[in-house]
Amino acid sequence: MEYNNNQQEQQVISLPRIGDPAPAFEAETTHGTLQLEDFKGSWVILFSHPADFTPVCTTEFIAFQEIADDLRKLNTELLGLSVDSVHSHIAWVRNVKEKMGVELTFPIIADLNKDVAKKYGMIMPGESTTETSRAVFVIDDKQIVRAVIYYPLSTGRNMPEILRLVKALQTTDEHGLATPANWQPGEMAIVPPPKTQEEADERAASDEFECKDWYFCKKHI
Amino acid sequence: MACVNGDGTLTQSAKSVLSSLDNKPMSAEQLSQLISVPLFKVRSSLRDMKSMGLVKMTNDEHYEVTEGGRKLLSR
Repeated sequence: MEYNNNQQEQQVISLPRIGDPAPAFEAETTHGTLQLEDFKGSWVILFSHPADFTPVCTTEFIAFQEIADDLRKLNTELLGLSVDSVHSHIAWVRNVKEKMGVELTFPIIADLNKDVAKKYGMIMPGESTTETSRAVFVIDDKQIVRAVIYYPLSTGRNMPEILRLVKALQTTDEHGLATPANWQPGEMAIVPPPKTQEEADERAASDEFECKDWYFCKKHI
Repeated sequence: MACVNGDGTLTQSAKSVLSSLDNKPMSAEQLSQLISVPLFKVRSSLRDMKSMGLVKMTNDEHYEVTEGGRKLLSR
C-alpha cells in the first residue's frame, strides 16, 4: 500500500485510542533513560505540556506535584513530556524549586525529536506544530490506554478530575461497576444494565441494588 | 537514574542499588521495596548497570553484582 507524504504525516500524529496497548517508547528523561515497560505493574499518567518556563505549565506542574502522593497511593506514577531538552527541564525544575518552593519529583521526558509526542498524537498542528498540547494519557498496570484528555495551550488542567478519573477506573476494575456523572469515591456506583429479560426481571425484584428502573440500578461499594 | 558521575565514581543512587545487591541477589521488585525507590526507577537503573557490566541477571531473574561492579563500589 502506497502513502503520500500527507497520509504518512496523518498516520504518525493519530493518537492511541482507549483500549489500545500504549505505544512503547524509550526516552531521555530528567531521571535517566526510561522505557514505558519500566512502569509495568503501575498505572501511569503520561502528560504533555507546551514548553518549560511558561506560566500555565508551571502552575500545572506544581498542581501535578500536589497530587503525586495521592496518585502514588493508587499505584500511579506521573510522567511529564515536552519538546524541550533535558537541560531545559532540569533548569526549570530547579527554578520551580527556587522560586515557588516546590520540588518536582516525577520524571519529565525530553522529547526533542518528538518521537513520543508523535506516537501519542500529542501535537495538534492546527494549534501549534512545534509544541505539544496539554494531553493526558491514563495507562493502566497492563499498559493499556484507559482514558485520554486533551486541553488546549491556553487552559490549565484540573487535577482533582485526573485523580477522580484514576479512582473511577480502578473502582470499575475492582468491582465491575461503572461510575455516574460527578461520581466521587464513597458514592454509589452504577450496575451495568442487564443483558437478558430474565436478568432484568431478577434485577427488578432484587433488594441488593437501589433501582429507579430495571436498567438503572446503583450499588454501594 | 544515571549510574556514574563525570569523574567515574558511582552516583549515590547507584551506590545504594549496588551495595544492596552486594549483600544478596534480588529481583527489581524486591530491591524497589528494600530501598524505597519506585520500581520504574529501579528497573531503569538496573538496565543501565547491566549494560555497563556492573550487574548481571541470574537464571531466576534476580540481579547480582559483578566483579566490575564490586570494584567500582569500593572506590
